[in-house]
Amino acid sequence: MNKLEELRQRKATIQMGGGEKRIASQHEKGKLTARERVNLLFDEGTFVEMDAFIKHRCVNFGMEKVDAPGEGVVTGYGQVDGRLVYVYAQDFTVVGGSLGEMHAKKICKVQDMALKMGAPVVALNDSGGARIQEGVDALSGYGHIFYRNTISSGVIPQISAIMGPCAGGAVYSPALTDFIFMVDKTSQMFITGPQVIKTVTGEEVSAEALGGAMTHNKTSGVAHFISQNDEACIAEIRQLLSFLPSNNMETPPVFDVEDDINKIIPELDEIVPENPNKPYDMKKVIELLADNGDFFEVQPYYAQNMITGFVRINGGSVGIIANQPKVLAGCLDINASDKAGRFIRTCDCFNIPVLNLVDVPGFLPGTSQEYGGIIRHGAKMLYAYSEATVPKITLIVRKAYGGAYIGMCNKELGADVVLAWPSAEIAVMGPEGAANIIFKNEIGKSEDPQGTRTEKIEEYKSEFATPYKAAERGFVDDVIEPSVTRPRLVDALNMLQSKRETRPPKKHGNLPV
Amino acid sequence: MRKFNITVNGVSYEVEVEEVKDGVIQPVATRPSTPAPAPVAKPTPQPAKPVAAKPAAAPATAPAGATTIESPMPGNIWKVLVKEGESVKEGQVLLILEAMKMENEIMAPADGVVASIHVSEGASVNGGDILISLK
Repeated sequence: MNKLEELRQRKATIQMGGGEKRIASQHEKGKLTARERVNLLFDEGTFVEMDAFIKHRCVNFGMEKVDAPGEGVVTGYGQVDGRLVYVYAQDFTVVGGSLGEMHAKKICKVQDMALKMGAPVVALNDSGGARIQEGVDALSGYGHIFYRNTISSGVIPQISAIMGPCAGGAVYSPALTDFIFMVDKTSQMFITGPQVIKTVTGEEVSAEALGGAMTHNKTSGVAHFISQNDEACIAEIRQLLSFLPSNNMETPPVFDVEDDINKIIPELDEIVPENPNKPYDMKKVIELLADNGDFFEVQPYYAQNMITGFVRINGGSVGIIANQPKVLAGCLDINASDKAGRFIRTCDCFNIPVLNLVDVPGFLPGTSQEYGGIIRHGAKMLYAYSEATVPKITLIVRKAYGGAYIGMCNKELGADVVLAWPSAEIAVMGPEGAANIIFKNEIGKSEDPQGTRTEKIEEYKSEFATPYKAAERGFVDDVIEPSVTRPRLVDALNMLQSKRETRPPKKHGNLPV
Repeated sequence: MRKFNITVNGVSYEVEVEEVKDGVIQPVATRPSTPAPAPVAKPTPQPAKPVAAKPAAAPATAPAGATTIESPMPGNIWKVLVKEGESVKEGQVLLILEAMKMENEIMAPADGVVASIHVSEGASVNGGDILISLK
């Protein structure tokens, strides 16, 4: 056999991963193989594999006889829409994609290269967990990966997709990254699996209910996206990448705009109901303002009273943080604060301007909220907004009451531009509550307390439940007609492009967690 | 699990054959994804059983057939828009909960028939209280 022949044969073996049978079994489960996923992720023909020849060096428990082509993980780099992106994709067909010393070494090399080159890392997880035969070497591998996840955080975008099992310590690498995708029905994440839970606590729960894609999208908020299948997941990762810069020193890519930037949208004049107690769908407002009506929502199933996601306005990425009056009246609660706090920081890391659409009646009252620590969770929003140096635009659509008004980024937290619609109500509290306190004596002394009360509520409403008191003080820069909002936002974003703001040098802040 | 030596094009492969039981494929050489055991004193540790790659079982659902709709937050029932026995469509507004200065529309999560209404107009409810059961 000549040397060229040998090389080809070696490569062919590695290409086949765990062999035809395991590949077929992977397909039967509705999953693609690691290589198929990688090829889908990158522009055709751009994937370059690294470290294909790496082998494990474990000799415990018969492992010396186990050949693991590619060491159970495919690593390398390629282009997504012409931009450099690194990838590692665990190969479930090779020793179950289990993570050992050399498997981790391949991943770490990709992480190091991505950080050095300032390019995103996409991690496609599909692994049975630690390779137990390798003992502490496997744990050391995880440690190395977590450390790199943390050091890279805020420097390069890190995106994780869970496309199979991801259990035990393995969950913490995705948890440290910026975004987590989960594929419906074929992915699970948990610290301890159903069997362990049953042994320890006696509780019986299925893997899907415990750590399936919907559980983490809706209940725990661990994941950001749920995808129908592997193909859809990869396509969504590509879409997400289009909103992000390659690293924290760059700005997100700007696309040609087909949508008229001076568009007057009469529909916006009608969208907020006359009666302030009537809900409406804030997502419609977002879609009307966005280029081509495209809204890429982040965490669409978690804490739905708070909407987060990306749009493009005038071709550039903008992060949206919006109250949803349709759900829980759009109030702020623990989960909504966590969701928004995290998203604001993600935008700030990657130089994405934020647009805050405010219609918030206040914080959700109740013991469960107070005992759950709404004080420290709510503080995350204040912290994240104050800390953020990206352009910050606040549009007060309707209610902006009390602490929640500040929490949605008012002027004092550093909003560069605050606009309000005429429907805005900016005050310390709602008219009913406020009238009862301010006019307590008048109402008490009156011969017709109910009549006086209604009168005083009306008086307060016309006097204070408007945007004009705030505009008189300069807390609102302008009150605008809703229909001209899009051109005004385009203008504000243009004006803020050269924004420079510095913070005192420090090791790092101390975000309340 | 059984091992075979197979020679393909002059290259010898050691192959492990998976055993399929009840349609569940036990992964070969993958050690179960049992995470580090919790520091709990366990009586007679049992040999770890394979945990990984269990096909997704149907998620645990609410009591057979009935869907209960709970109040998302404390408030007052302002209007009840359906009657017991009425069939409803997914997304249809069942009742309006006045809370946080908002007339919150409580909608049917799926098509069904109203089995019972647990609240009346004007009643005050807490978050988590059952409002309506659907069949």
